[in-house]
Amino acid sequence: MQSKFKTAAAGTLKSLKRVAPMLLAIIGLIGLFKTYITPEMLRTLFNGSALHDMLVGVGFGGISVGQPFLSYIIGGELLKEGASFYGVTAFILAFVTLGVVQLPMEFSIFGFRFALVRNLLSLLFAFVLALLIAFCVRIFT
Amino acid sequence: MKKSRSGLVMLGIVALLYLVLGLLHPEKTAAALGESLGVLKMILPILLLVFFLMALLNAYIDEKAISRHMGEESGLKGWLLALVGGILSHGPGYVWYPLLQNLREQGAKDGLIVAFIYARSIKIPWIPLMITYFGWSFTLVYTFWVVVGAWLQGIIAQKLLR
Repeated sequence: MQSKFKTAAAGTLKSLKRVAPMLLAIIGLIGLFKTYITPEMLRTLFNGSALHDMLVGVGFGGISVGQPFLSYIIGGELLKEGASFYGVTAFILAFVTLGVVQLPMEFSIFGFRFALVRNLLSLLFAFVLALLIAFCVRIFT
Repeated sequence: MKKSRSGLVMLGIVALLYLVLGLLHPEKTAAALGESLGVLKMILPILLLVFFLMALLNAYIDEKAISRHMGEESGLKGWLLALVGGILSHGPGYVWYPLLQNLREQGAKDGLIVAFIYARSIKIPWIPLMITYFGWSFTLVYTFWVVVGAWLQGIIAQKLLR
């Protein structure tokens, strides 16, 4: 049992070492995005029409990075500023499910085909789910 | 897992980006570096947890068990495992990628991995914040559709990646 654990731990350390450069690179990019792309910049881009806001939402959600709660805060502010529910929902979904910044890492770990299929599906689902969610919310409230 | 030359290239590009931006906007770039260090500090414990889980998985769970719970014949239980696991997992997604790839290599279905990653959009600790901003009905509807979406996405991915 003891030696089994040891070899596993050693293997784990090796895989940690293998992903370390990419991980550090991604974290470095996250810092740049956080300081160079501000919520104010995002706010000026929404205009209240569903399709336009959804496209902008997915686009900016996809390139922004950070903890999910950041997308709630930004989304809440956008809503106050007059962005549509469709756009804000698409933004939140894309924010948490798509990551252009971490894409190279996803490709290098999972391989090309898997990462491509997963990201294209997430892109499609950001639109589909945003429509469904905003539609349902409108019915309920 | 593939070799990490792309990682080194990427790290070089980012370092260069910092250098150029640092010359243009020294203060902003220093702030960015600070943000990055903050992120690193935040994810380090999660990273250690994930790699510890990986070690346990490697040592004590054999491939047969993985293919039974997450492989071709895993059925509904596999989907439930992926969705619940995704919802409960902590930290940024990329921290989990090596572990998930490990599971794939040991026979876990691609669709389940895709569902796991999508289900991560729901984070239980942040639900109160979502309710504060968007209200109960939005939060419930959002959570419901993300779970359904994760499952559907897994099924489609499974068909496409077969």
